[in-house]
Amino acid sequence: MKTKNTLQTRREFLRTSMLGVAATWTLPVFLEKTFFALDAMAVNAVTQTATGKDGTILVVLQLAGGNDGLNTVVPYADDAYHRARPRLALPDEQILTIDHHVGLNPKLAGLKSLYEEGHLAIVQGVGYPNPNRSHFRSTEIWQTASDADRNETHGWLGRYFDNCCSGTDPTIGVAIGEEMPQAFAAKNPTGITFSRPEQFRWRASASNTGHMSTEEIFFRQLNGFDEENTPAATDGASIGTLPGTSKSDLSTLDFLQRTALDAQLSSDKILAIARKYKSTVPYPQGRLAASLNIIARMIAGGLTTRVYYASHGGFDTHAGQFNTHERLMTELNDTIAAFVADLKQQGNFERVLLITFSEFGRRVAENANGGTDHGTAAPMFVLGGRVKPGLFGEHPSLTDLDHGDLKFNTDFRSVYGTVLDSWLNTPSQIVLGRKFPWLAIL
Amino acid sequence: MNMLAQLPASLWNDETAAHLLNRARFGATPAEIESARKKGLVPMVRELVDVRADAGNVPPPAWAKPRNIRAARMALKAAKERGENFRETARQFRMMEGDEILDLRRWWLERMMNSPAPLLEKMTLFWHGHFATSVQKVKDGYWMWLQNDTLRRNALGNFATLVKAISRDPAMMIYLDLQQNREARPNENWARELMELFTVGIGNYTEDDIRAAARAFTGYRIDMTTQQFRFARMEQDLGTKKFMGHTGPLNGDNVIDILVRQPACSRFIGRKLWRFFVEDEPSQEIVDAIASRIRAHNFEMRPVLREIFSSAEFYSDRAMGTQIKSPVQYIVQTSKLLETQLASPIVVQNAMRQMGQILFAPPNVKGWDGGKAWITTSTLLFRYNFANYLISGDAMLPAGQAARAKPQDAGFRRSVQRRQLAAQIKRDPIDVSKFVPDQLRDKPRQLVDLLSGRFFRTRLAEKETNTFVQFLESRKPDTSDATMRELVHLMMSTPQFQLA
Repeated sequence: MKTKNTLQTRREFLRTSMLGVAATWTLPVFLEKTFFALDAMAVNAVTQTATGKDGTILVVLQLAGGNDGLNTVVPYADDAYHRARPRLALPDEQILTIDHHVGLNPKLAGLKSLYEEGHLAIVQGVGYPNPNRSHFRSTEIWQTASDADRNETHGWLGRYFDNCCSGTDPTIGVAIGEEMPQAFAAKNPTGITFSRPEQFRWRASASNTGHMSTEEIFFRQLNGFDEENTPAATDGASIGTLPGTSKSDLSTLDFLQRTALDAQLSSDKILAIARKYKSTVPYPQGRLAASLNIIARMIAGGLTTRVYYASHGGFDTHAGQFNTHERLMTELNDTIAAFVADLKQQGNFERVLLITFSEFGRRVAENANGGTDHGTAAPMFVLGGRVKPGLFGEHPSLTDLDHGDLKFNTDFRSVYGTVLDSWLNTPSQIVLGRKFPWLAIL
Repeated sequence: MNMLAQLPASLWNDETAAHLLNRARFGATPAEIESARKKGLVPMVRELVDVRADAGNVPPPAWAKPRNIRAARMALKAAKERGENFRETARQFRMMEGDEILDLRRWWLERMMNSPAPLLEKMTLFWHGHFATSVQKVKDGYWMWLQNDTLRRNALGNFATLVKAISRDPAMMIYLDLQQNREARPNENWARELMELFTVGIGNYTEDDIRAAARAFTGYRIDMTTQQFRFARMEQDLGTKKFMGHTGPLNGDNVIDILVRQPACSRFIGRKLWRFFVEDEPSQEIVDAIASRIRAHNFEMRPVLREIFSSAEFYSDRAMGTQIKSPVQYIVQTSKLLETQLASPIVVQNAMRQMGQILFAPPNVKGWDGGKAWITTSTLLFRYNFANYLISGDAMLPAGQAARAKPQDAGFRRSVQRRQLAAQIKRDPIDVSKFVPDQLRDKPRQLVDLLSGRFFRTRLAEKETNTFVQFLESRKPDTSDATMRELVHLMMSTPQFQLA
C-alpha cells in the first residue's frame, strides 16, 4: 500500500537523519506518534502527503521584469512583426520554425529539441483581463492569481499548500532565493526559502570553533520536542485525537516549537542531500543555472517537495534590448537544457513539470532606444516528460491591438488550473476560486 | 461586566511592566523595566500615551525635500528624444531612490530605538501596516517620508482626521490609483480598499457604494512640480450620489464621515488594534467592548489606548508573552536587549527582507498578516542566525567570507563593491560585560536566572533553564566573553525568544 510506504519512509527518515547528526539526540516516542497521526489524516479528505520518490513535481520559473514574448516565440511570418520592429525583429532565416507562422528565438535550440521530442507545450497569448503594466502590480496578479481589480493576500501556491497539503512537511514547497515569493504566501505559511543549501542551517558561533559541536548539541536540545511540554504526550491522548493537524490549531509556543523542529529536520535533510547528490551533467554559469541545479539535486535526493520555485531577473529591456535579450535567451535555453538532461539521467524527467511565466510581455512596437516598453500578453512554456506537446492558443493579432499591446486569448489561470487539476491532482476551483477553461497540455 | 476594568495595583510588577513596555514600545532593558515598575501603572501609561502635543513634529532626514518631478521627467524625456545617454541619468535617479529609501528605513528604526515618544512610533508602525503603501509602486523617497510624517502626526489623534489626511496623501494616491480616478473614467481601487481594508471591512458595503464613493473622490490630484496634494475643483463630480443610505452631492470627506459612523468601523479598527497590541485572536466580547470605547471616545486614539494599556485584559495570561515579535520589533528589541546599536542600514534592510517585513514595502495593500505568519522554518532559522551576527559580529559569517574581502579579486569594480559591502557588514562582537557581571560568570545557575530575566518575559520551563546551565557547566572553567556570547546566542536560538 502506497500510504504505508510513505509512512515508513518518513519514520525511517526521522530516525536516521536525527540519529545521524548528533548522537545525543534521541527520537521521542511522541514525535513519531504525531507524524504518524498527520500521515494517517493525510490519507483522508483532500490532503495529500508528498511521497518523495513517486509524486509529481512542479517547477515554477519566473522571468522577472517582463520578458519580450514576441522575440521569444516569434510570429516571423507576420509582416506586422517586421514593420513594428525595424531594429529588433529577428531575421526569418534564423528562426527555429515551429509552424508556418511562429518559431522560436534562434538561441532556444534546446527548447526546439524538446518540442520535437514531444516534451514542450507552448501556450500563446497568455494574459488576463484589464492588464496592468506596473511590474509590481502585475507580478502580484500573477503570483496571487487574482482578478486585476481585486487585491488578494495569499499566493496561488500558498493557497494550494493551505488547502491541499496541510500538516505536511515544510519541504512541500522550496523557493530558491533570498525572499519567499508572494506565490507561496499562505494563511499558514509553509515552504522553505534559501539561496544556497548551506544557508538553510543554524550556525554556531564561529569564534570558538573548537566548541562548535557541543554548542550545536545544546541548540538541538532547545529546539526539539520532548514529552514534558507537549500536552498530547502527558494526557495520554490516542493517535486519533492528537491535536495539531494544522499549525493554526496550535498554541503560539507549540507552533513555534513545531516549526523549530521542522526547521532542524528539513535543514538536516537538505544539507544531507546537497552533500550527497551532485550533478554529473554540466550546467552553464550564472544564478539561474545554480538555482535549477540545486532543484535537480533536491529532486535526485528525494526531497518530499511538490513545488519548486526559481526566479530569474533582467528581462526589463527598455533600451538596447537586442544583445541583452539574446544573452537572456541563451542562458534560459542552456539552463533548461542542462536541467532536463540532469533529470533524464536521474530518471526523474517523467515526474517533473516546469512552467515559465513573466508578469507581462512587451509592447509590439520597439521604442526609440532599441528596446521595448511594458506590454501585456506573452507565451508560457510548459515542459516535462509527460507534457502533451504542441502549440496552444492562438497567437494574438499584431494589428488588432489594445493601446499598442497584444490582446490576450488564454487566461494564465487556465494554465494554473490545468496544472493543479491534472498535475498536482488538486481541484483547481478550491485554489483559484473558480474553474478556468482546461488546456490539453497535460 | 466591564471588559476593560483596570488592572489592580497589586498586579503591577516587573512582569506586567515589561509586558507594557514590550507592546507599547519596542521592548526594554531590565533597568527600564524597574524604573517603569517604580513609577506605577497609571503614571507609566500616561507617560506613554500623553506625549507632548508637538511630539509628532519630527525633523525629516536631510534629503527629504520635495522636487519638481515634472521638470525632471521632461528633462529626461527631452534627453531621450535627443538620443542622449539618458540611461545613465535614469540609473542615477533609481540609485538615488534606493539610497533614500535605505536611509529612510534607518531613520525610522533609529526613532523606534531612541525616540522620547516610543508609542508614537509604535502607533505609526500600526498605521503603516493598516494604510499599507509600498515604495515599489510609489518609487519616491520623499513621498514615502511624507506619508510616514502624516501617519506620525495623526497616530494618536482622531481616526476620521487620519483617514481624511491619508486620502490626500500622494503616496497612497499613487499606490491605489486615486489620482487617476476621473468622473468619465472611474478608478475604484481607492474607493474599494477604503471600505474593505481601511474602515468597515468586507461584507459591510455594496458594489454600488464603491461606485458612489469613487465619484465622491474626484478631483484628488498631485501637483508634480511640488509633490503635494492638489484639489482640482473643476474635476470634482458634484452630482447626487447615494451612499450607504445617504443621498446628496457627497464629497470624499463626507464619505469618510459616513463610513466612520458605521458600527462596523469601530469593530474593524478595534479588532485590529487589539490584535496588534494584545492578542492574535480576540473574542467577540472583547472586540465589542473595545468598539464601544472607540465610539464613546469619538475615535480619538489617545483615550482608547490609555484604557487598553490600563486594563486587566491587556495583562491576561492569553496576552502576556504570547505575541510573536514582528521582524521590526525583533530587530529593535534585540538591539536594545543586547545594549548595542542597530546593525548597519544595508544589513538591517536585508534582515527585514529575509524575515518578511520590509518597512515601506509591505507585500500588498493588506499589509502584513502578522502573528504566526511571521514564522516559517526559513524565517525562524534566519532569526537565529541574525541573532548570532548581532552578538558575535561578522566573525560568525562562514569563515568571515562576506566581510573579510580578499584584496585581489577578479575585476576592480567587483572588488571595490565587495570591500564596500564588507565595510558595511563589518560588526564587532557585543560587549557582554554590559549585562554579564564578572562575579556571576562562574555561577551558572545564577547567571542563567539573571539573563533569563533580560531575554525572556515568560517564565522559562525547567528544561530550558537546565540546558543553559548544562551548557555553562560543559565549558568550565572557561568563562570567557566568547562563551558568554555563545550562551546568549543559545538563549536567542529558541522558540521562546521569539515571543514578547
